[in-house]
Amino acid sequence: MSESGIDGERRRFIAWALSPSLIVLFAVAVLPAIYLVVTSLTPFQLTTPGSATDFSSPLRNYGLLPGDPRFINSLWVQAKLSCWSVLFQVLLGMLLALLLNVPSRFVEFARTFFLIPMVLPPIVVAVIWKLIYTPDISPLYYAAQALHFTMPALTSSVDFALTSIIIADTWEWLPFTFLMVLAALQTIPDEYSEAALVDGAGTLQIFWYVTLPFIMPILVISGMFRLIDSVKAFPLIFLLTSGGPGTVTEVTNYYAYLLAFDTNEIGYSSAVTVVMLLLVAGISLGLVWMGRRREAMA
Amino acid sequence: MTNQLDKTARAGRASITRRKLLKASAAGAALAAFPAPLIAQTKPFAGVTLHGASFQHRFFTLLQKYIPEFEDQTGIKVDLQLSAFPVYNQQANLELSSGGSAYDFVNVTFILAARWVAAGLLANLDEFTGDPNLTPAEWNPKDFVEGAQVPYRDAKGATYGYSWEGGAMLMGLSRMDLMEKRGLKIPKTFAELQQVCAEINGTDGVAGITSFQLHHWNLPPYIQGFGGNIFRKPPGDIMPALNTPETIEGVEFYANLLKSAPRGVLTYTEDQARQSLLTGRANIFIHSSAWVTPILLSDESKVKGTSRVVRSPAGPVHDHPASNSQGLGIPKNAKNKKAAWEFIKWALGPDISMRLVKEHGHSSVCRRSIITSDTYRKLNTVNGQDLGALYLEVLELPGKGENYMAYRTVKEFPIVGDVLNKAFEQVATGQLPAKDAMNAAQDQAIAALRRAGTQL
Repeated sequence: MSESGIDGERRRFIAWALSPSLIVLFAVAVLPAIYLVVTSLTPFQLTTPGSATDFSSPLRNYGLLPGDPRFINSLWVQAKLSCWSVLFQVLLGMLLALLLNVPSRFVEFARTFFLIPMVLPPIVVAVIWKLIYTPDISPLYYAAQALHFTMPALTSSVDFALTSIIIADTWEWLPFTFLMVLAALQTIPDEYSEAALVDGAGTLQIFWYVTLPFIMPILVISGMFRLIDSVKAFPLIFLLTSGGPGTVTEVTNYYAYLLAFDTNEIGYSSAVTVVMLLLVAGISLGLVWMGRRREAMA
Repeated sequence: MTNQLDKTARAGRASITRRKLLKASAAGAALAAFPAPLIAQTKPFAGVTLHGASFQHRFFTLLQKYIPEFEDQTGIKVDLQLSAFPVYNQQANLELSSGGSAYDFVNVTFILAARWVAAGLLANLDEFTGDPNLTPAEWNPKDFVEGAQVPYRDAKGATYGYSWEGGAMLMGLSRMDLMEKRGLKIPKTFAELQQVCAEINGTDGVAGITSFQLHHWNLPPYIQGFGGNIFRKPPGDIMPALNTPETIEGVEFYANLLKSAPRGVLTYTEDQARQSLLTGRANIFIHSSAWVTPILLSDESKVKGTSRVVRSPAGPVHDHPASNSQGLGIPKNAKNKKAAWEFIKWALGPDISMRLVKEHGHSSVCRRSIITSDTYRKLNTVNGQDLGALYLEVLELPGKGENYMAYRTVKEFPIVGDVLNKAFEQVATGQLPAKDAMNAAQDQAIAALRRAGTQL
């Protein structure tokens, strides 16, 4: 048998072996996405018979989006939430990993302890923060009261509502970046920092010229993952602020949820979701392209 | 009520004649000779399984205890599916609008009632109540409180649901002791309410008033109190009326009132608000009776001795406390309509309603004969306060004259209600002056309704 024949057989085997997973993936991921796009081309409302199959004005929903101030505001809120929470998660995760990158039993315990928020179900995280942010039952507010300091109600304050979501989101996902950076730190050979130390470099210089270049790709990758994931802060927003006060914390997926489940505008909500999907896909592809370009340059 | 039943029973016994006894004996002999066919006749729905759905509510949890009795009496099996409120509404919306026949009976959710009725998704129950073979006279559809039944009627007056739960807005005051110390009386007007809340707020660590985040339930009585409304004249004219001077005044008033509320009240849930009242951390809570009366009735209440439950204050133009109800209905495409009616008839019959009141203290029933009965009154009179009378009074108001709750049952309400919620929060947090926020809300509401295909 020729080599290409072996390759062909292998390819066929791989295709057959993968086909059940691909079928399932197609059924649970691709088909609903296609249906979402199809629905976005209709004025679908649950109580309007025939609206689900009305394609008479397929781009109407998309045409309305630029003139919808709540949609535009939701994109802006999402951008603020994503940028700040990813920045904090990457910086704090790195800081924590640097602090805990020492061989010690206590530190090993501390590492495990820091991972807890990430493994909790998102709704549990939201409930924990709901308790922390509720003035009349929160230990945070009792402590502030003991110190004769009046704290504002964080989740219903225009100035702090988004910050309170960012803090909770950072608490939940900080362990992810921490874990990634810690793993990267443990792959750096000691010789580099030892040589730098011999050359008289200080701690900051060693970090800047030795450690940071090593962990930079991991920082970028974990930041990219978190950026894509940050659009999923839904449980926190749902439970802590319901998008308020006003529309201060109303991100795009929460707005899409309200449209679909509160006001029954399924078609318009689908259009909002499709745009969000395209934006996330665009950001992901952009980041992948940047990563490849960086690799090629290296 | 009990006395009446006893009298009827005595009257029944007195009217037994020799002829009737002979007839009964003959029937007994026939039953002994041919038992199976006759039993089958008494259970015409034997073998039927009814599929029903609603949202989770104490009423159904209690009803489930009695359902085996219904199954024994009729031979019908009842499969009752209970989900969380928003989940149920989505399921039911989808099921009914797609013309499905998965359910034989459903909860007709108050806020969705008008759109379901208008879209012809429910069966006309007058066909059942109008047939004496299907509904005995004692069941008496007119016994349901009129105000609670209004949402389940179409423009011609046909009935598509019977209410199992009524919500009537009342005012609970937890710290009358503090008020008396300060020489304050129970507020009867908006102005007095504002004064009491402001004066009590901060005294002894007590907030003047408490509330929760469902603003489009809490706020409209103030808007209507000043003479405004959510729509121009619902259900006929559904042009939003969010920026009229009266509506703006109502919004401003309620936003000011919440300055006397606990910090974070804008994101309070109903439970949080209830707890703040029951523990005496807030003096006033204005909400449905089921949420307010526990200050007098619940073991959890720490303020039983200092509490009062009264009518909510009247506005300068209108006295329109909010009210609502939830109903049971039959989907138009249900497979077992007659069996479903048997279930509704049983579940909302006088017998089960009275047992719910007597055995479980479930007071939010909608049958007038039950609410006005001695038993109900005895159970719901606390510290000399007849809570049932208050409940009935408020529940009846929309059924008398103007149906001022019509705004909430038109199908456009969820869209406008959502816009109103956001605008109110902008006012309450000082993001925008009331006039600006409500002008913007008016534009947004019109745009959103047009986007949803509403002709304005």
